[in-house]
Amino acid sequence: MNCIKRILEYIIVFFVIISFNFFIPRLMPGDPFTFLSSDEGSVHSSYTDEQIEKYKAYYGLDKPLWEQYKDYVYNLFRGDLGYSIYYNEAVSSIILKRVIWTIGIVVVSIVLSSLLGIFVGAFSAWHRNSAIDKIIYSIMIVFSEIPSFLIAMLLLFGLAAGKGWFPLSGGITVFGEYKNVFEKIKDIVHHGFLPVLALVLSQTGGYYLLSRNSMITVLSKDYMLTASAKGLDDRRIIFRHGLKNAILPVITRIFMNLGSVFGGAILVENVFSYPGIGRLMREAVMVRDYVLMQGIFLNICILVLTMNFLADIVCRKIDPRVE
Amino acid sequence: MKKGFKFLIFIMIAAMLLSGCSNEKNVAINQKEETVAKEENKEPVEINLQGGDWGYPSPYTHYSRGPGIFKMRLIFDSLLERGEEGLIPWLAESWDISDDGRLYTFKIRQGVKWQDGEPMTAEDVKFSFEYYSKYPPVSDDLGISENNYIEKIEVVDENIIKIQVNEPNATLLERFGTARIIPKHIWSDVDDPTKFTDSKAVIGCGPYILTDYNEEQGAYRFEAFKDYWGPKQKVDVIKFVPVSDSLLAFENGEIDLTGITPDVLSKYENTPQYKVLESPAYWGYKLALNMEKRPEFKDKNLRQALAYAIDKEELVEKVARGAARVGSAGYLPVEHIWYNKNIKQYDFDIDKAKKLLDNKTYNFTLLTGDSNPELRIAELMKINFEKAGINIEVKSVDSKSRDAAIKNGDYEMALNGYGGWGGDPDMLREQYRSKNREKTIFSGIPGYSNEKINKLCEEQLHEMNEEKRKEIVFELQEEIAEEIPQIPIYNTTGYVVFRPEKYDGWKHVFNHHEVTHNKISYLEME
Repeated sequence: MNCIKRILEYIIVFFVIISFNFFIPRLMPGDPFTFLSSDEGSVHSSYTDEQIEKYKAYYGLDKPLWEQYKDYVYNLFRGDLGYSIYYNEAVSSIILKRVIWTIGIVVVSIVLSSLLGIFVGAFSAWHRNSAIDKIIYSIMIVFSEIPSFLIAMLLLFGLAAGKGWFPLSGGITVFGEYKNVFEKIKDIVHHGFLPVLALVLSQTGGYYLLSRNSMITVLSKDYMLTASAKGLDDRRIIFRHGLKNAILPVITRIFMNLGSVFGGAILVENVFSYPGIGRLMREAVMVRDYVLMQGIFLNICILVLTMNFLADIVCRKIDPRVE
Repeated sequence: MKKGFKFLIFIMIAAMLLSGCSNEKNVAINQKEETVAKEENKEPVEINLQGGDWGYPSPYTHYSRGPGIFKMRLIFDSLLERGEEGLIPWLAESWDISDDGRLYTFKIRQGVKWQDGEPMTAEDVKFSFEYYSKYPPVSDDLGISENNYIEKIEVVDENIIKIQVNEPNATLLERFGTARIIPKHIWSDVDDPTKFTDSKAVIGCGPYILTDYNEEQGAYRFEAFKDYWGPKQKVDVIKFVPVSDSLLAFENGEIDLTGITPDVLSKYENTPQYKVLESPAYWGYKLALNMEKRPEFKDKNLRQALAYAIDKEELVEKVARGAARVGSAGYLPVEHIWYNKNIKQYDFDIDKAKKLLDNKTYNFTLLTGDSNPELRIAELMKINFEKAGINIEVKSVDSKSRDAAIKNGDYEMALNGYGGWGGDPDMLREQYRSKNREKTIFSGIPGYSNEKINKLCEEQLHEMNEEKRKEIVFELQEEIAEEIPQIPIYNTTGYVVFRPEKYDGWKHVFNHHEVTHNKISYLEME
């Protein structure tokens, strides 16, 4: 019963979101075909009114809004995300080509930042109120408060432009030829290093604080006293007895956080011209490509909902007390 | 726990591998030509330029902005080409326009080959024009899909094509001359060209072949076409690579040319390893007045007062940091080939503005976009307008919303900027003639109609004698400057910097400001 209720909830949320995805872009002023101005220095070919009418009819934008909505939902259930107006390509294939890059940096950065946060947090909690704890604490606070794109810009200017250790942009060397697959992986890691680092730096603080707090609570528990009374060494106490109990809120946070990591990734991608979904989204909004916007938002929404759902399941698994 | 961790690592590696794989699917690749190292000892010239995704460069699938258009033009040639002084013969060796201005005869060059080896003939030209009337391309030079002025196209023999039009029109030569010629043997059975993204869609008869295109990275690679009919390519390979910050990329040697702001100009000027070019001022901002919404603007004195109350010199200095020319009241910018310098000038003069206003005060809202220069121009104008007794409320929205408002006539005053000010003077007609019958891309000037301007606009369009047409356009500019129905603010110039030792062939053409967008920049022209 409970399970059905939850699934129903998810379905309702999903429908509300796709409706918003559909209507908000279309209610914004402007359309995909009117270009009266351009960025400084750039030229734009303009369309006459007749051409605009023609294009609108071609993409079905001349129909009443509710009819377009009906078509959209109908096509969605047939698995058809539509055809991008600006890019002249099926939305699903555009997204597929790019989303993999974004998922790559997001997943890697979540894994790294959560691990780092958990361990450093546990370490800090163990040494709480000592000098080292205070130093780590302040560093973490600072980094968690700087927006990720700002960190990204500092990294770009410092490590890529200044030192020249990393490429300035892109996800892979263009027109590169590789002797073997390892060289290619190396190239991809090399390109992805700074975007991932920027995300890790901005994410770790949050995990650290959570892990530290949770660990401090756990450390004050009676069973920790028992553990040290048994004469176990510190490492064993922290990792076997402490961390196992302290980690639960962190796990929940990892999943809940996914939406905001995506948000951060989108900005970081723009800084590094990383070929992920973030740059695509910005472009789609700027040119009012309704179909593509819907497709991207839909994908992000499905991803976040799935992650919430997983968070539910995982938390139940780890801690049966969660209901 | 441990298992979960391993799983995560697995996912992470899988994601990275997959992302690598998707990259391998670089589209296109016609016959991948071996780079032609023409003379012995001579290294092939390879240049890198700022990339970004501008679409698959067929006439139907590139994106509608400049960088998309010119990439397509590297592959596709046209009857004429833009030279430094004017239009020059290209696929058409010569042409003739009948005295009544209704019959165009083009002599098509012999021995021109498509990039797949087929010969290019007059049939292809006829086919292209007819195809464009059915399916307008992204950059629609002909513009015949809704108002077909072509009455008949006749292929006399393999090399001669005659085009009969319904009335004399001075803009047609450029239209015929710049429309891209596409191969009949490929496109004749394509009936949804916007979805035609086969590798055959990028076969033209131009100087460059597309060998690689990577959409998500925004990378292109073009190679010189060996059997090109025309001027020898000075650049063997043109690569467009993704950059995050173009100046950083230029400093690092990743790209060989970049646009720079006046703030960093001094670093590159007078340094032997760099060369700096100033671009002609063919991109500009204007202040539009909506006379339908605020009939007060129909009063010429108010309009002239506004023009006097804008300190354009100050705007050029403070906003464009000197990299601009003060806008001409007659619309055609000072560097336009047909600019008339004897028109009325509106030098900044608050007292004159006050006198013209005759102690009346006004309140208007000014609509602008949200870019930095636009906001600064708006705020600076506001200060001076207030001194003259005109109170302005600045309303800033995103660029698309502003465009929509302008199109729908939903504004009082609006500031916007766009390119193409170096084009055919017929743009004066598109801008200033009253719009009651026809629809055009520009909203025109709502509520404005001036008989003399309307008449001159029509006259210049139908005058086939260039000298006579020039006279009319000069008179038209004088009339416009006196009437000042909208106010050009300034035209930006901007600078590009490059390393001459790498490549030094960059040229400007007579009507465009971007050196990289000109075909002749890459070719050996006498």
